[in-house]
Amino acid sequence: MKMIWAIIRPEYSQKVIDALEKTGISAMTRLHVTGHGAEIGITAGLVNYSEIPKEMLMLVLSDIDVAHAVKIISTTAKTWQKENPGHGAVGDGKIFVTYVEDAYTIRTAETRRNGSGPPGKTGTTV
Amino acid sequence: MKKIIAIIRNEKVEETKSALMKIGVNGVTFLHVAGRGLQKGLIPSRLPAGGCPPYIGRHPLRTQDDVPVPGHPASRPTENERESGFLPKRMLIIVANDSDVRPIIDALIATNRTGCHGDGKIFVCPMISAIRVRNGEQGDSALV
Repeated sequence: MKMIWAIIRPEYSQKVIDALEKTGISAMTRLHVTGHGAEIGITAGLVNYSEIPKEMLMLVLSDIDVAHAVKIISTTAKTWQKENPGHGAVGDGKIFVTYVEDAYTIRTAETRRNGSGPPGKTGTTV
Repeated sequence: MKKIIAIIRNEKVEETKSALMKIGVNGVTFLHVAGRGLQKGLIPSRLPAGGCPPYIGRHPLRTQDDVPVPGHPASRPTENERESGFLPKRMLIIVANDSDVRPIIDALIATNRTGCHGDGKIFVCPMISAIRVRNGEQGDSALV
């Protein structure tokens, strides 16, 4: 079981959510965040804007779905550049993947431990 | 050291706070988030009096049921979010010692369990270290 934190452009979040839903990954949490990457925000004239609004998506998936989900997010959240197609632009975001040891469903108090239980079919979260 | 990420109902937050306080957990971070589960948010996030709502799909009542927390623009779902079934929820982040994880999870489940869809999830992730910003203390002692 792995947790994906994806930081993407807000204008692309709906596109990413739809793309994930199309492949059966529907459970996720989204957060409005601000931040900047290695490019230290946007500088317009003398002013530097370092808190750029982004959307963060949090998904927890079984191991076999992670690579699939990362591929969908990274292809869908990429901006399309006319002069450099397929390369994206600065500020398209990042995807982080971390381990999850246990997951509990509060409604049923059910536990799913990492590595135990049947491998989930595509799109089945915890 | 473990990081506990719990996603719970908005209306259970106060109850959860006092339940955590009772077992001596004072360091909690709350976030306003929007989310949906395997039901794609097709049920009201707000609990009705008496019994769980059945699977109803999209219906006109839903907009009245999903009352966001007032004064928090982040928790107010946009039209897009309503369309894709994202409901306002609260995310808790607690970093605790390994031995404290079990009581915290028991308390969270006992407080938030209503038996209806939308009660939320708890995730436990490994955490390598913690540092107290005030004095640079590291490891387990930074948590107390």
